[in-house]
Amino acid sequence: METKVTRLPDGATVVRLLGRLNMVSANSLRDTVDDLVEQGSVRIVVDLSEVVFLDSSGLGALIGGVKATRRHGGDLRIAGPTEQVQLVLQLTNMERILAPHPTIESALQHA
Amino acid sequence: MPEPIPHALTMSSPPDDVDTVHSMLSSVWEENSTVPAIDRFSFETALVELASNVMRHADPGSGISCRLAITVFPDRIEATLTDSGKPGDVQLVGRAMPDELSESGRGIPMIRALVDDLDYSREEGSNSWRISRHLRGSDGSKAPE
Repeated sequence: METKVTRLPDGATVVRLLGRLNMVSANSLRDTVDDLVEQGSVRIVVDLSEVVFLDSSGLGALIGGVKATRRHGGDLRIAGPTEQVQLVLQLTNMERILAPHPTIESALQHA
Repeated sequence: MPEPIPHALTMSSPPDDVDTVHSMLSSVWEENSTVPAIDRFSFETALVELASNVMRHADPGSGISCRLAITVFPDRIEATLTDSGKPGDVQLVGRAMPDELSESGRGIPMIRALVDDLDYSREEGSNSWRISRHLRGSDGSKAPE
């Protein structure tokens, strides 16, 4: 999985993931979010539009990010889930704490 | 109609990991392009959850070897995963999704939601797992028996 971090002028951060967010790559996302939170970036949008596969390990890393950012008064939102990602979110009843936003812009408005 | 031929693979973890399973599934889907997308997503998710579970929990510390066989039948997809690891200590039935802020514990409930059968047996020092999903297609209904 590839990760691209973009800091926006308003202080929010977009983390764009490309590839599979699974047992192999979940720790990389945890490290990225932990580093951002440590640096004070606690409003994070994870762009999932190029994530072709999400499993429960990847979901655990996203939930860890939600908890880490909220502890510091921020939040982590997700944008652009693909069909497989939406299936996993629905199966696991994640719509409340990881509500999928269609675009980064829409996620930022709610962040 | 002749019996479909299974796709088979032997893995050693490490260095093999769930990305090895994804690569194998890519070949399976290439050769079976008529399997509907919802069935591909669902089966791939269930199988990767199962393989993750085995690689995480069955490894006695020295790595494990697994044999994976995937068969696409006209009405269903099946996989069997046999591993040399520790006995599977998992509750397969009646396990609910954990609290929404929990970061683990969703693998088995997800598998159960995505496949029609999930079986486990321990024989001659090996664990054997089998999952099977009836093809539902785009309308969500099962294929005729």
